[in-house]
Amino acid sequence: MTAIDPEPEARTAVTARIALSGVHKRFGDLEVLKGVDIEVQPGEVVVLIGASGSGKSTLLRIMCDLERADRGEVWVNEVPLHDRKRAPEIFGHVGMVFQQFNLFPHKTALGNVTLALLKVRRLSRKDAEERGRTALARVGLAEKADSYPAQLSGGQQQRVAIARALAMDPAIMFFDEPTSALDPELVGEVTGVMRTLAEEGMTMVVVTHEMRFAHDTADRVVFMDGGIVLEQGTPEQVFGNPAEARTQQFLHRVLET
Amino acid sequence: MNWSTIWSNHGLFTSGLEGTVELAATAVVTGTVVGLLVAAVRTSRVPVLAQLGRLYLEVFRGTPLLVQMLFIYFGAAYQGISNITVYEAALIALTLYEGAYMAEIFRAGIEAVPRGQWEASRVLGLGPVQTFTTVILPQTRTIVLPPLVGQYLSLIKDTSIAVVIGYVELMRQGQAVIDRTSDPVAPYLTVAALYFIICFPLSLAVRRMERKAAPA
Repeated sequence: MTAIDPEPEARTAVTARIALSGVHKRFGDLEVLKGVDIEVQPGEVVVLIGASGSGKSTLLRIMCDLERADRGEVWVNEVPLHDRKRAPEIFGHVGMVFQQFNLFPHKTALGNVTLALLKVRRLSRKDAEERGRTALARVGLAEKADSYPAQLSGGQQQRVAIARALAMDPAIMFFDEPTSALDPELVGEVTGVMRTLAEEGMTMVVVTHEMRFAHDTADRVVFMDGGIVLEQGTPEQVFGNPAEARTQQFLHRVLET
Repeated sequence: MNWSTIWSNHGLFTSGLEGTVELAATAVVTGTVVGLLVAAVRTSRVPVLAQLGRLYLEVFRGTPLLVQMLFIYFGAAYQGISNITVYEAALIALTLYEGAYMAEIFRAGIEAVPRGQWEASRVLGLGPVQTFTTVILPQTRTIVLPPLVGQYLSLIKDTSIAVVIGYVELMRQGQAVIDRTSDPVAPYLTVAALYFIICFPLSLAVRRMERKAAPA
C-alpha cells in the first residue's frame, strides 16, 4: 500500500484520511511518543503492534482526540486536531472501540446504539431505532436489541460497542485492543466482525495483540518501539521478513505464546 | 402527662406540621439543585470555579447550621435587608448547609463512574452537559440514592433549628403547647412522633427503589 506518490507533500494532505507528522507526547517525565509520522489512506486497514509502553495506544488516542499531541500536526478526516478550536469537529465522525467496551450500562443494546443518533444527529426515535437495528444486525446481534450490557457476554458487548460506533456512519474506525479483555473463545466473534468491516472497505486503525488478525486482515502493519515507528510494511514483509532486530525479538516473543 | 391537651391543641400541631413540611420539601429541592451544580463544578476541574466550590463546601460544612441561620436572618437585617422573612432565611440556610453535604454525595457518585464512559460519549459527539445528564448521572443512582436520602432525613429534622429565628414549624408549636399546659412530656413525644411519621415512609420508599434498581 505504500505506493510511490509523484507529489508526496501536496497530495497526501488532501487524500490521506489520517496524516500525522512529528507527533510528540509526554506524560510527566515519561516521553511516550518521540516524533511519529504516519499516514492512512481511505479504505486502508492499519494495525499497530508493539510491546506495551511502545506508545501505540497513545497514538491511537491522539487520532481520535482523547489525548492531545504536545507537538506535531495531526490531520484526521480533514480536521486539524492540533488546532484546539477545530479539533472537536472530529467527534461524531470517527468511531472508537475500547478495550473495556465502555458501553452505557443503564441502556439496552439498542439504547446504546441510538443515544448519539438521538442526541447528536437529532434523528427522530423511529429513524434512530431503524438505523440502530441495522447496525446491530451488521454485528449479528439483531435479536439482542433489548438486552442490557450486563446480560451479554464480553464478545457480544464488544460487538454492540462496534455497532454503536458504526451507527454514526464513521469515516474511520479506531480499535484500541478490542479483544484484550475477552476470554480466548470469544475473540473470534469480534475479530470476525472487524474482518467483515475491513472487507467492506472501512478505513481502520487497530491496536491489537492478535497477530493472526494483523496477518490476515491488515493492509499495513506498523511496529512501534520506544515511542517511534520502527518498521512498517505489508504483513508479509513485517511478519515474514522483519528488517529490524527489535521487530524480530518482539514477534518471536508474541508468536511463541 | 396529659394526652387530652394534645387533641385540644391539635390546630397548633397541624399548622406546625405544615410549616415543617413546606420548608423541608422546598429545601430538599433547592438543596439538591445546589448540590448537583456544585458537584458538577467540582468534578469539571474548571480552575477558579472548582476552588470556589471547595471553599463553599468547607465553610458550610465547617460551621453549625444554627450559626448560619442566625447569621443569615439577623445579618441580613443588620445589613439593611429588612424585608427578608424568617421562611426565606431558614430556606437559604438549609439549602446552603444541606447542599454542601449533597454536593459531596453527588461528587462521590460521579467519580465512581469510569472515565471510559466520558471518553465513549465524547467520541460519539455528545457534549459535556449532555454526557453528564444522559450518561453519567443515571449511573450514579444506585451509589447516590442511599446517602442522599439519608441527607434528606437529616434535612427534615434540621428544619427544627428554624425555631431559633421564630419560623412557625413543629418544634415551635410543640413548645407553645408546653407553655400552655406546662406538661413537657406529651407535646415533645407528639412532636417526635410527627417527625418520625414524615421520615419513615421516605426510608421505606428508598429501600423499595434500591430493590428495584438492583437487577439492571
